[in-house]
Parts: sequence; structure tokens; C-alpha cells
Amino acid sequence: MLAWLALAALATLTHDHLPAPRWLLIHVFLLGAVTNAIVTWTEHFAIALLRRGEPSPWVRPVRLAALNTGVAAVLYGATYGPVRLGIAGAALVVGVIGWHVAILVSWSRRALGGRFAHVVAWYIGAGAALVTGGTLGGLMLAAWPPGTSSTRLQAAHVHVNLLGWVGLAVLGTLFTLWPTVLRTQVAEGSGVIARRSLRLAVPGLAVTVGGFLGGARWVAVAGLLLYAAAAALALVPFLRTARRRPPHTPAAWMLAAGTAWFVVAVLADLSVVATRPADQVAHGIEPLVPFTLVGFAGQTLLGALTFLLPVVLGGGPAALKRNAALLERGWIIRLAVVNVAVPLIALPVPGRVSLIAWGFVVAALAAFVLLAAVTVGRARGPRVSPTVGGVAVGLLATAVAVALALSDGRGVTPAAKLAVQDNGAGVRTVEVTLANMRIMPGTIEAAPGTRLVLRVTNRDAQQHDLRLATGQRTPMLGAGQTATLELPPLAGPIDGWCTVPGHRAAGMTMRIDVKGTGRAPESGMDHSGRTDHMATAPGVLNLAAPMSPGWRPYDATLRPASGGTEHRMEIHAVRKDIEVAPGVRQRMWTFGGTVPGPVLRGKVGDVFTITLVNDDTMGHGIDFHAGSLAPDVPMRTIRPGEHLTYRFRAEHAGAWLYHCSTMPMLQHIANGMYGAVIIDPPNLAPVDREYVLVQGELYLGQPGGTEQVSKMRDGRPDAWMFNGTAAGYDHAPMTARPGERVRVWVVAAGPASGTAFHIVGAQFDTVYKEGAYLLRPGQGDGASQVLDLAAAQGGFVETAFPEPGHYPFVDHDMRHGEAGAHGIFEVTR
Amino acid sequence: MTWWSVIRFLHVTSAALWVGGQLTVSLVVLPLARRLLDTGQRARVLREVGRRFGMFTGAFFLPVQVSTGIAMAVHKGVTWESLTYPGYGRTLSAKLLLFVLVMVAATVHGWANGRGMAVFARSMAIAALVGSVGIVLLATALPVT
Repeated sequence: MLAWLALAALATLTHDHLPAPRWLLIHVFLLGAVTNAIVTWTEHFAIALLRRGEPSPWVRPVRLAALNTGVAAVLYGATYGPVRLGIAGAALVVGVIGWHVAILVSWSRRALGGRFAHVVAWYIGAGAALVTGGTLGGLMLAAWPPGTSSTRLQAAHVHVNLLGWVGLAVLGTLFTLWPTVLRTQVAEGSGVIARRSLRLAVPGLAVTVGGFLGGARWVAVAGLLLYAAAAALALVPFLRTARRRPPHTPAAWMLAAGTAWFVVAVLADLSVVATRPADQVAHGIEPLVPFTLVGFAGQTLLGALTFLLPVVLGGGPAALKRNAALLERGWIIRLAVVNVAVPLIALPVPGRVSLIAWGFVVAALAAFVLLAAVTVGRARGPRVSPTVGGVAVGLLATAVAVALALSDGRGVTPAAKLAVQDNGAGVRTVEVTLANMRIMPGTIEAAPGTRLVLRVTNRDAQQHDLRLATGQRTPMLGAGQTATLELPPLAGPIDGWCTVPGHRAAGMTMRIDVKGTGRAPESGMDHSGRTDHMATAPGVLNLAAPMSPGWRPYDATLRPASGGTEHRMEIHAVRKDIEVAPGVRQRMWTFGGTVPGPVLRGKVGDVFTITLVNDDTMGHGIDFHAGSLAPDVPMRTIRPGEHLTYRFRAEHAGAWLYHCSTMPMLQHIANGMYGAVIIDPPNLAPVDREYVLVQGELYLGQPGGTEQVSKMRDGRPDAWMFNGTAAGYDHAPMTARPGERVRVWVVAAGPASGTAFHIVGAQFDTVYKEGAYLLRPGQGDGASQVLDLAAAQGGFVETAFPEPGHYPFVDHDMRHGEAGAHGIFEVTR
Repeated sequence: MTWWSVIRFLHVTSAALWVGGQLTVSLVVLPLARRLLDTGQRARVLREVGRRFGMFTGAFFLPVQVSTGIAMAVHKGVTWESLTYPGYGRTLSAKLLLFVLVMVAATVHGWANGRGMAVFARSMAIAALVGSVGIVLLATALPVT
């Protein structure tokens, strides 16, 4: 347990370098330290309270090993993959706790009714909560069942684990631990209160979880209110005891502070849950989680350990007193520091303040771990000979110094104001800035033998890094972060670039030249992949070839808008291999795993609440043309693993494009990140069939690679696609019957070319383009042959096929039509 | 051969005397004293050895080391800022850090001996010795210029 606590302190210190900082931090602490503590102590107390004998000697080591194997698997599997390892770990943890609960249940059934048997019922409730919460966590890792909203799962997972597993275990323990710590009698009637409040708390939690999973905000609020009432009732004996005997020991103060923050956390949580829809709760309680961890769970754990560790170590009253004195050293400062820091962690204070607050918390935690380690070592550990001890201390100091000397500047260091600077050692420091798809300066010239130190700062909103052809690289830098690269003495020219997919091709390159032999960066490797030869699609792709077995076309059928005026959807940005032309698979960047992304449909005035989850390894954003709002926040780029909520009211009708809003958009759109939002014009007449076609360009090759991007820049697609597959509807025709009214919505995603949409053999009697009817039936004798759309425009056409047959639909710009923007209407009786 | 060679000579020689002195006391004087002298004599001899070595440290070693070290750093153009640079700067600052730690350990050793905490004092002395060897290691790692 101490080891996990130390790991938590370490993880906090190094969290900038970890792949999933917050998640790992929270789970190292909760799954590692807190869960081990709860399992150990609940069993310990259950034995004491039910007057049981010790379990078989093999039980504890096996359970401890299984639990910690599971925890390690969860932490490693979810952070570094494979995810299956994490899921297996979650299953193992759930199994171990289930086993623990089963033991507790069988004990309390057979118990002779000790005076405090009711406490064990709380432990059983807590264990059941973790079994639920752990299962939810495993489901989140597995992304199963498909289609469930991960934000709702997350909200339920957080609540049941924090309020259930941690909350119930702590509240239950306080019934007896609190009077013990205060060295006084258990308050009268606390047994009855314990039984009653548990009967409220468990259903309360169950209702809360059900409310979150079902997306019913008020159900969740009702459940939480029930839980809060139960907690308030359970704390009545706590207050009575405290009034009779005020806290006077360090452990008591820590427990009191922890309990106070628990009350604050439950109230704050209630207000968060009550003021936002269920889908946004997970996001809303994010700042509350570290607050609860430190203020409540952490302090309670430390308070309990401060009291229990000397008791467990034993060794007679004198040793107990000495151990306690050592553990309590500096407790007033530690207590004050932590409790000043706790609110700063949750409140929106400047980054520096919250950093200092975290520093205090970590220092207090580290101090406790150190004191506890010394206490345990003194009570249990073997004496170390002065020679061995001295050598160990000396070697440790030397190792730290050597590590400092060898640190190569890959660590992220605070930004400093430093321009180009020479110093005596032939070292030259150059400030390098990453911003706006450029690396500044683009060229650095230095004399042969110069030892360059590059201080690389990311001044952009999205992530960048700098990699040199020598293999040296900075870590991936967030906005405002700086890292230093130290180069060996300069011998020849070195190229550098950003490794985020597409950024190198978009121009994020630099070059270090040896003075006197310099060449402009334009003559470097940037152009090596470029040729002047026009690679036109027919020469490359065989559109008449059969599609691969198992290929299914993107369903072009447009379903009517759902009845409600609110539309919610969660869209995941993911990379996926898609068959983009017969027999040709391409790694696409997608919204929701399809190109185009999911089609949204509604009426004028409808509200759309979209949660974008970034499951990719690069930044993405989203821009809905159907809504009108300030782009700053909703269209921002989110990093891998983050999510954002984009809410807009569709004020106007039209066939609207949505697309990724992250630069370079040319690449994000050309690689597939687009889709359509259909907002019906008022009084839109029903038709027999409705289809939607989103036309886009296809660029084959390594996504974001130099070659692919130069094709995008030159506007030389390998093919054009309707709904993500070139000539896909040639192989899986769309259907209609003679005389039926057919409406085809068309959106041109580009990124470069528009469309001249035409159905061979048919004439349009209705044309709607960019929010207005160009033609309606009954307006004279005219008809239309083409719906012309520029990139990002949309509209629809209506027609009725006169007789059975095969009616091709094309982009009548024949360069496009013959290179994939082609499909067939199969009209049969 | 310039005056700077003399300064460097002083720096290296003084360091060699200090590390060598510690090694001699730990590996030669202490075992022999344990074997050849009775308890009372041993305590007196060792106390005197310690006091002398402490005097050598305070009166000669530290002033020479610090003054020649600073002089060479200034001459070489080392700035506070350059101490954070990877390579030479960081190696030098690591060496300085370890030097401070060793001096702290040596001071604690003297203080603990005076208070009769013999075991703790001994472990601090050995830590100082190992750390001093570590300083030599870092000194050899400083790139030659």
C-alpha cells in the first residue's frame, strides 16, 4: 500500500511525461493505494467486529497477488495497450472483490451478531459497488456494447466507485473507527442509524447509476439526493461523538477534514449533476475527481494509517507511543498545507497556483510515505551496517548527480527568454518556434563543429514536436511547452520536421546547414517525392473491377428526422481502413469509422448536441456549417483521448457540410473527415424515396505523407467518390420504381472540387440549392439537368423515373464522372 | 604552461589529497588502529585524526577548491544560465551538487562524532568518501576544452 502511495506521488511528479496523465494518476491512487487499503482494512475490521478467526493462511497472499496483478494489468493495458490486457485486469479486480464480498457475506450470515455487525453490511455494499463500477470500467475499455455513450458510462463509473466503493467503506468504518480514534465510547443508537442509512444509501446509488446509464438526469439527481440523505444520517453519530469529545489527535483531525471534504464533494456533485444533461456530467465532474481523491480519500486514508499503523506494528505501549510520535511529526503543517491546497485543485485558479497546490499535496504525501517507511523500517527492518549504509547513500547521491549530468534535455523544461546565444564552450542556443504549420527559423546556419542547442517551443494551439534526421526528437509538445535538443558537433546538414501526421507535408520542416555550404530548404527532401507527371485515376484504378467480398456500400437512404426537437449524438474521430475503390483499401481519417461520417437530420429550430470523442492519435475538431456560433471554443482542436461537446440550433434549412476543423484542413477533409447535416425546409413534401450523396475526393498513399499532400495541393485526386467509395454505387446500385418521386440530397465535401450532379436519362422538376428553391413543379414548363455545387455547398433535386432501366448518376464534370463520381439508379417495377 | 595550468594543478592536487586522505584513513589507519591499539588509545588517535583532517578540509582544501574552481569557471565563460544546458553545463552543475552533498555529509559526520553517534557518523564518512569518488568521475566526464 505504501508502495502504491509512493507511486502515486511519483506519477504526479512525472505526469507530463506519461501518455495518459490524469487517468493513470487517478487509477494508480484509487486502484492501487485505496483499493488495497479498503480490502485489507475491511477484512481486518470484519474479523474484529464479527469475532471471526483468521482466514486460511493462503487466502491473503493469493488475494493480494491477484488484486495487484489485476490492478497492474489495468494500468498497463489501458495506458500502453493491448487494451485486452486492461479488460482482463478489470475482470480480475472485479473477481477478487467479488470473492472478498462473498466471504464477508458468508461471515455475516453465520455471525453470532457482534455488537458492530452492521458495519460489515456497509463493507458488503461497498464491495458490490466496486463490482459494478469495475464492470462499467471494463465495458468502457472494451467500448462495449457498441453504441453506448461512453460519457454516461463514465459518469456512472465515477459515481459508483467514488461514492460507493470508497464512500460506503469509509462511512461504514467511521461508525467504529471515529470513536476509537477519539478514544471514547461509540455513540448511543449508532447501530440503528447505521442500518437505516445503509438501507437508503444503496438504493440511492443504484438509482443514480441507473439514471446515468439511461441518460435521465433527474433520476440520477433523485438517487444522489437519497444517497446524500443517507450520508447525512450516517454522519449523525459522527457529529454527536465529536461534540462529546472534540478531535484532539492528528489522526482525528485528518479524518474530520476528510469527512468534511466528502460532504462538500457530495454537495458539489449534486449541483453539477442537477445543472447539466446526463451526457455532460462526466465532463462536468472532472475537476471534482482530483478534489475528492485528495481531500476525502487521501486524507481519510492517511488519517486512518496514522492511527492504525502504530497499532498494527505493536511492540508494547512504549513502542506504540514512539512510532505514533514519529508518524505524527509535522502533522499540523501537513494538515494545513493539504487543506489549503484541496480547494485550489478544484477551483479555476491560474495554472501556476494549481501547480503549487499540487506541489504541496505531493510534498505532504511524500512526507507521510517517508515517515511511514521509517516507522515500519525501525519497527521491522533489519539493522544495516554503517559501511553498507554509507556506501548506499554515497552511491545514491552519485547516481542522482550522474543522471543529472547525462540528462539530454528531452525533459520538458519551463520556457525561458533566450535568443540565439554563443558561449565559451562553442555551444550555440537557438530558439525554435512551432506555430501555424511552420517551424521558425526554417534554416539555421552554423559553423562546422558548433554544438547546437535547440530550445523548441510550441506556440500553437495544437500539439507538435520536432524530429531531426539524426533521430533526436523532442517529446510531443502541448501548447506553450518547451523542450531542449542538444546536438552533437555539427558535421553536415540536418533536416528536421514535425512528426504529427500531415504536418511535415504541410510545411513544418526545417534545416540546419553548415556555414558556407548552405542550401535553401526548398531544395531539400521536401520536393523529392514530387513529379510533374499527371497521375490520373483511370490509369491507376480499375473502377470496373469487382469490390472485395464482404464490402457493403455506405447506406445512402436518408431516414426521416426523428420526432423530437433535440438530437444527441456521440461521434468518435478514428482512423480506419476503408475500401475506397474496387479492391483498393486506404487508411482514412473518419468521423465514426465511415466516410462520410454519420448523417444528421432535423427540422428548423432543432437543437443538436454532439459529443466529439477523439480516439485517434492526433488532434481533431469539428465544424458544423448547420449552426451559427463563435468558433473559438466548440471548433477547437482536441487532443487524443479528449472530448468536446458541440451544441447548435439549426436556425436555417439546407444541406449542410460538417468537417474536421483542425489544420491543415485540406488534409483532414481530403482524408475523409466530413459529413452532412440535413435540415428540412418547412413544409417539405413527403416523397417515395430519399437518398443522400456526399461527394469527396480520394487521395491514395500514406495519409499526411509528402506525396499524398502534394497531390492535394495540386488538386490531383486519384479519384472522386460518392459516399466514400469511387464507383461504389456502380457495384451496389440505388433502387427506385418507375413513377416514384425520388429526392436526392447532394453535398460537395471537396476539399477542392464541387460537383455538377446529373442523373442520365432523368430531368429534375425540383431543385433546391443553398437554402432556396431554384425550381419547383408548376412554375412554368422548365426543368433542370444539373445541380451545381461549389466545394462545401449542398442541396437536393427531385425527379421521377419514367420507366424501368439503369440510370447512371454522375458528376457531369467528366474528369470527375469518369474517375469515380459515378453510380447507378436501378429502376425496376 | 600558463598561470591557468597552475590553478588547474592546485584544483586537481587538492582534490586528490582530499579523496586520497579519506581513503587512507578509512582503508589504512582505521583497520590498523582497531587491530593494534587498545580502546582508550584508539578513541584518542581516531579523534585526533578526524580533527586534523577536518582542519585540513576547512583551512586548505575548501578555500583552494572553491577559489580555483570559480576562477576556472569564470575564465572558461561559464554563466549561471549555461549551467542548465545539457552537456558541459549540466555535468558541471551535477558535480557542484554532488560536492555540496559530500560537504554536508562530511559536516554531519563531524557533528555526529562529537555527539557520540559513532555508527551514524561512520556511515556519513563512508557516504562522503563514495560521493567524492563520484565527483572525480564527473570531473573526468567534463568535456575537455
